[in-house]
Amino acid sequence: MTDQNQMMDRLLADLARQAEQAEIYAVESESTQITFEAGELKSSLVEETSGVALRGLVDGRVGFTASSGRSDPATLVERAVASARFGEPLNLTLPGPLPAAMINTFDPALAEVPLERLVAIGREIIATLRAADPDGKIDVDIERTSGRSWLHNSAGARVHQTASGLRISMSMERVRGDDVLMVGDGTATTGLTDDYRAVAERVASRIVSANKSASIDSGRMPVLFTPSGSILLLLPLLMALNGQHVQRGTSPLANRLGEQIIDPRLTLWDDPTLPGRPASAAYDDEGVPTRRKALIREGVAASFLYDLKTAALMGTESTGNGSRSLFSLPSPSTASLVLEAGDTPLADMVAGISHGLLVDELLGLGQGNPLSGAFSNPVGLAYVIEDGEIVGRVKDLTLAGNVYDLLKSVGSLSQEQYWVYGRYLLPHVLIPELDVVRSR
Amino acid sequence: MTLENLERALSASRADYCEIRLETRLTTRIVYHGRLLETVSTVLNEGGIVRALARDGGWGMSTFNSLDDLPNRVEQAWHNARLVPRREIVLAERPTVVDTIRVPRAPGAESVSLEEQHALVSRYNAILLGHPKIVDTQAAYVDQMITVTYANSEGTRIVEERPMAHVSLVATARDGTNVQRSGDGTSSAAGYPALLELDGLADRVAQRATDLLSAETVVGGVYPVVCDPRLAGVFVHEAFGHLSESDFLYENPQAREMMVLGRRFGGQHLNIIDDGTLPGERGTHRYDDEGTPTQRTPLVEKGVLVGRLHSRETAGAMGEQATGNARATDFRFPPIVRMTNTYIEPQDSTFEEMIAGIDLGVCACDAIGGMTMLENFSFSAGYGYMIRQGQVAEMVRDVVLAGNLFTTLANIDAIGNDLWFSRTGSCGKGQGGGLPVGIGAPHIRIQDVAMGGRQA
Repeated sequence: MTDQNQMMDRLLADLARQAEQAEIYAVESESTQITFEAGELKSSLVEETSGVALRGLVDGRVGFTASSGRSDPATLVERAVASARFGEPLNLTLPGPLPAAMINTFDPALAEVPLERLVAIGREIIATLRAADPDGKIDVDIERTSGRSWLHNSAGARVHQTASGLRISMSMERVRGDDVLMVGDGTATTGLTDDYRAVAERVASRIVSANKSASIDSGRMPVLFTPSGSILLLLPLLMALNGQHVQRGTSPLANRLGEQIIDPRLTLWDDPTLPGRPASAAYDDEGVPTRRKALIREGVAASFLYDLKTAALMGTESTGNGSRSLFSLPSPSTASLVLEAGDTPLADMVAGISHGLLVDELLGLGQGNPLSGAFSNPVGLAYVIEDGEIVGRVKDLTLAGNVYDLLKSVGSLSQEQYWVYGRYLLPHVLIPELDVVRSR
Repeated sequence: MTLENLERALSASRADYCEIRLETRLTTRIVYHGRLLETVSTVLNEGGIVRALARDGGWGMSTFNSLDDLPNRVEQAWHNARLVPRREIVLAERPTVVDTIRVPRAPGAESVSLEEQHALVSRYNAILLGHPKIVDTQAAYVDQMITVTYANSEGTRIVEERPMAHVSLVATARDGTNVQRSGDGTSSAAGYPALLELDGLADRVAQRATDLLSAETVVGGVYPVVCDPRLAGVFVHEAFGHLSESDFLYENPQAREMMVLGRRFGGQHLNIIDDGTLPGERGTHRYDDEGTPTQRTPLVEKGVLVGRLHSRETAGAMGEQATGNARATDFRFPPIVRMTNTYIEPQDSTFEEMIAGIDLGVCACDAIGGMTMLENFSFSAGYGYMIRQGQVAEMVRDVVLAGNLFTTLANIDAIGNDLWFSRTGSCGKGQGGGLPVGIGAPHIRIQDVAMGGRQA
């Protein structure tokens, strides 16, 4: 630890001799991963990562380099300064030492969990899925990580953060003749929880519901999106709220903060403060304290996501959303996203549909021109609802429309919410009328 | 790090099979976003992976950045292999190989300065921005030198240089809330000198994004579709190629039944091939990442499924020969079954003959996204044109093809004479980032393709 601090301070001093502002960012992580294939433990992997990145402002221009290998400090500083010769002038101000709330993102108990326990969790998940279908091919991945990051800059910030993570993903593939079913889901938390049980149960029930097949003709109909299906509706909004698109002039929401964009029942939070979530942190990757904020409040565009650079270009402050990997400059990104739940029980939403769809997964999300809100996606996993009952799985359908039009007035939002991909906490969303095209 | 270091570490391994792959990846990246020069950087990513097999266990692996303690990584991989309960893993036999592969680069490629590279991408970016409706661009130049050092416990030793330089150009046009994008690019192992004449490409990219502003969304329906070579190539890679990868098949009896050799997939004219030996293509290597020589593997011949792609493990499990398709995205990943250069073999139709008989159809061009769920697929074309009375008519946008693999392959009723390989292909498959792959096809015509879109 002391070695790391010394190495960082030495690099910082070297870079600061040639740059008016300087920043050193370093990461270290270890992870252990076990992989089950076709229901059997297949492999085990340990991964160690380490590296350092340098960012400097030289004559008002940004320079950058990074290395995970054996690079001597002089080469690193030289590469960073060389890259600054070309940079556009940028009025960037690195943050000094700033106070931040304590957010617990490190669970020391996770490192103590014996590997046998993780293997047992994998077997338990496999048993749950196998009970839903004895013939499907079941894959499970479990990864435990422990990571540290350091950020020292010439304005005096010294941020050291630690994080732990447990990521579990599971999937079943079932082939009957030419009919293929793939269902998958997962959890991501900072410590060992039993969230995986509810997720495995959910995957199992989706498999069972898909045992019967159903069909439906093309037309306009109500579509009930599960939390994972709802990502289709959020994706264009998230892109449009990202400071990069705002700054480049490609966001349809640019200059529209404070305007009613969508249904007043919709409120979307960016929340880096939730305990136990892998996307939480007290500081972002540029040393700026994070905060919870409404991106959309009662349908009104409320905040964009900025890092230091996009904020500087827009003449505003970073929102604490600077995110980076070792080898790239920071860019704005979300923490955990929370779409506020509604007041309708899910059962009532299903019961209220006389002829429509329940959509859990779509193919090709983000393809095409998502910024415009337009989409046209075939369903991956969807069910027909007739007279308030789920009657079976339907394939060969494509949903098409524009998210901005559809969200003007949603049917209802469920009371129930759950986490999707460890990062999105979402309810079910009912869209009263959507174009559905049958492709066979 | 020399081969002797690897040999020393391997000699202490207690595993029944062990391999070490070290990589040094030095990357210079220059990226413009609009008028802003977003990145000029040279970064070094260095590290390795040890993979060990224990006969009374399974696969154990260790990946790392620091190369300081190779013997310990070898021990760690073996230890991990022992954690896995015993399972039958047989590696198909391969002769051992000792080889060094240095790729000749164009004169001047090594000595090109950051100034010259920057001037090049700046010129292309200026061409994009010179079009009045273009509000945003991404113009990138990436020059990468990867050096791979590989050794396994059977005696194979390979040192390989993998240079690659890329230019990619994206233009975004905007008119009010109407925002349209178009992009293209190319790459070459010869490096910078091979990428100096892309002014015309930049101009076409910007013009196409501009033209898309006034194109209408295609009317949803079922059409005969002529796919351009890029879209046809992506289709055959995504929708068919992945099902030929034996790691999908070898532990899944149901999938093996679906992909049984001898099954008819299309007409007599349909030949699909994976070939890692084609000179100069993106998926070309002398050996795969297990040291197996690459080869030409016919997958479909005269419409009938005749082959599949293997690593040593899947070949061993299925009693077949390794095909040189074990590839890894980088040193963070073990090699798994991947395509090399996958293409539809050309036949004799011309483009004019293909559209001649179509009263109402779509010519779908470029692929900006594709996703498959085994036999179901969705592909977004970058743009398209209506075909009316045998003629190419107005441009259309939001062209998304969806369908079922088996019916769609069977519905290919014409294959062109104009085979073309994309120089931008890369493939994900569970290992993050992109593995360079060759994706090729001539124009193809498919009957009865469903297309989402606006109501007429």
